[in-house]
Amino acid sequence: MTPAPIITARGVTRRFGGLVALDSIDLDVPTGIVQAIIGPNGSGKTTLLNALSGASHADAGSIRIRDHEIFRLKPHRIAQLGLARTFQNIRIFENLSVLENVKVAAACNKPMSFFGILASNAQHRHSEANIDVIAREALETVGLVHRADDRATQLPYAQRRLLEIARALASKPNVLLLDEPAAGMNMTESMTLLDTIAKLKNRGITILLVEHNVRLVMGISDRVTVLDFGKKIAEGTPSDVQRNPLVIEAYLGRRHRHA
Amino acid sequence: MGQLVVNGLALGSIYALVALGLLLIFNTVQIVNFAQGQLLMLGAFIGISCAVTHELPMAAAWAVTMAAMALVGVVFMVLVYFPLRGRPAFLVILTTIAMGIVLENLALIIWGPLPVSLPSPVSGPPLRFAGVVVSMHQLFIFATLAVILFLQFVFLTKTRFGILMQATAQDLHTARLVGIPVKRTIAVAFALGTMLSGIAGLLVAPIFLAEPTMGGSLGLKGFVVSVIGGFGNLPGAVIGGLFLGLIETFGARYISSNFRDAYAFIVMITVLIVWPRGLFGEKSSEKV
Amino acid sequence: MKPERWHWPVLAATVAALAIPLITQDSYIIQLLNIAILNTVVVLGLNFVTGWTGQINFGQAAFYGLGAYTTAIAAKSGLPWITTPFLSVIVVIVASLALGLPTMRLRTYYLAMTTIGFGEIIRLIIVHWEPVTGGTSGLRAIPGISILGIGPEGQAQHYYLLLATLALAMLVAARIRHSVLGRAMIATRDSEIAAEQSGVDTARTKLIAFMIGAVYAGLAGCLYASSIRFISPDSFSSTQAILLMTMLIVGGMGSIAGCVFGAVALTILPEALRFLGQWYLVLYGLGVIAVIVLAPGGLASLASQFPMRRAGVR
Repeated sequence: MTPAPIITARGVTRRFGGLVALDSIDLDVPTGIVQAIIGPNGSGKTTLLNALSGASHADAGSIRIRDHEIFRLKPHRIAQLGLARTFQNIRIFENLSVLENVKVAAACNKPMSFFGILASNAQHRHSEANIDVIAREALETVGLVHRADDRATQLPYAQRRLLEIARALASKPNVLLLDEPAAGMNMTESMTLLDTIAKLKNRGITILLVEHNVRLVMGISDRVTVLDFGKKIAEGTPSDVQRNPLVIEAYLGRRHRHA
Repeated sequence: MGQLVVNGLALGSIYALVALGLLLIFNTVQIVNFAQGQLLMLGAFIGISCAVTHELPMAAAWAVTMAAMALVGVVFMVLVYFPLRGRPAFLVILTTIAMGIVLENLALIIWGPLPVSLPSPVSGPPLRFAGVVVSMHQLFIFATLAVILFLQFVFLTKTRFGILMQATAQDLHTARLVGIPVKRTIAVAFALGTMLSGIAGLLVAPIFLAEPTMGGSLGLKGFVVSVIGGFGNLPGAVIGGLFLGLIETFGARYISSNFRDAYAFIVMITVLIVWPRGLFGEKSSEKV
Repeated sequence: MKPERWHWPVLAATVAALAIPLITQDSYIIQLLNIAILNTVVVLGLNFVTGWTGQINFGQAAFYGLGAYTTAIAAKSGLPWITTPFLSVIVVIVASLALGLPTMRLRTYYLAMTTIGFGEIIRLIIVHWEPVTGGTSGLRAIPGISILGIGPEGQAQHYYLLLATLALAMLVAARIRHSVLGRAMIATRDSEIAAEQSGVDTARTKLIAFMIGAVYAGLAGCLYASSIRFISPDSFSSTQAILLMTMLIVGGMGSIAGCVFGAVALTILPEALRFLGQWYLVLYGLGVIAVIVLAPGGLASLASQFPMRRAGVR
């Protein structure tokens, strides 16, 4: 029996001019699982992720996290409600250190007292210490704590991806959206990523994963949703989806039918 | 009141020309040239040097000025565009502002701070009808704007090079890949854009006199017009320019002439708040 | 406590700064330094908005002017001096909201033009509201700083007072830098989307940065009016706004020490090079272009390890 959904999306639609990027998508993401969203290029995966995280609002539909309606909410409000995400093209804060990058998210849902900052009173110092602990914990989880004081730009590519994950973790999310986390990674790095994702799942975080790397998807996902041309064409366990003729056709193109 | 309309439209035509020059450059290389006003000033003074100091006939003065401005445009491109390609827009803004400062102060050194007059290329008694007086110069301004619009339209849509320029404007990288001589189209854009400002200077000087600090407010009004019309949109810029000319003239007459320059900004801020893309524009949004 | 790497240069600079009035009695030089210190405070304010939060702001000179004029008008109309900083702060906060709220969603070029426009409108108001502001001639004989009848006399005493104010301004800036707010500002600049997704309310952050920047400028304006005792619209024009921006860039955007360097250097330079006359501005413009093209991190980026060390310091 699948657990109750943590994300419930209904009728999510997004148009860019004449192009329908998302065509009335319904999505249920059960709590605590790893769900992958796959599909050929241009199928709407990232658009869907953007709609969920508030980065680029959908035109119509309803999106709920548990009981909260988050459709068209500002991204920082959605983050405060427990949804974090990483980006396809890495967006780290280049002028902050590795630790500071994560601290930005660690402050999520913490009240900020301007007076406290100026006076550096006990409340402020306590809050900063707290943020420091949360941030370092997140870096530990992805294995980057030894580089905490380095400039974020000093990290190589794969570690920047991990930094993004650490940053997302620091906001203590219930749901984590990963946008092509394995892009540009080699075999070893992908395996480390897989382990990290498994670790997060064990902590009870629901993970929604957009990914091209089929091996990664099949290896870690409990459930797979397939999009094509903005529509959902299949959904189920990885093995179900792999065998689905519609899915095969979507990836290989129509001409396969005539071959 | 009809007189205000005429005056407003004449002023607005000049603003439109500044905006057209600005947009020609912007559409091609995505740079907003904050020195456009100073280039206008330069055009006015080169014209004055030719016509007044060296007593060339007006037609020759105009020709020399236009050629000189085209050259200045290319130099400008070399000094500003090439070194700053790909840098954040903020630095480009500062650089063009700095260029404006350089030009303004060079002008102060060469020509001094006192306002100088430039005769109009046309002379003759003004037209009078329906209680309105239209000077020959004002007619000339309208005619020039019309001619330039026509030429620009023909050039950009009917000639081969003009079409290449449009292609470069739409997608510089692909244009380069496809073999379009991108450097040349950019150079032409800078040359023409600067020339348009120079022409605007030659048209302004007979009305308002020329002095080295005139560039600041005129340049800014060119930007405001571009914003009103929707950045990048050429017909919008023309309409925006005429619109601003009217607002300024009526505002100066009925509200206060002290705050003449402020009307432009107030209009711009209002437009930006209500129509963030300008009245006609459809510029891009942030990519995620 | 183990001395950090940056403690020594800072200590040396502080000692040197404190010693200056003992070395030279020339009040012209000291007054110049006083202006430099005030400019530094304004540039520190600009740093919050443009350096850290990445919002172009050519309106900083307008806030400087609003602070100065509010103080001058209030003091000349007989109010006790102690009220003037508060009045100046209130005025600039209102002005910064008037500018900041409508422009929150604007970017780059539009923001640049709007802030320039704002500066121009303020200047026009100052110039044309003659009965109150003295128009283009400005206001003279502004009462000096006086709290309970005591106030600094002479340029040297003002110097130490202003130095103390600068130290406080820098301390506050450093505090903010190493807090949630500072990190939120820099995150907003580096990637607004990622900052939002990390829970940062970027719109509110931009507005707060704007207001803090304005308050710095407003207070600097108050002190300017009270120590230089004469103000005119020329000191707060859009040319000044551009100058302030270049001080920030030359110093290295984002670096507190850079602000000091840039502001002091570009305040002293035009005086030192006065013999160049009009050519100074020509060379200055070319110099700015040169710095932008050749050393985009500003001259303070030459000490590029400097800011990072501070980030790592607890």
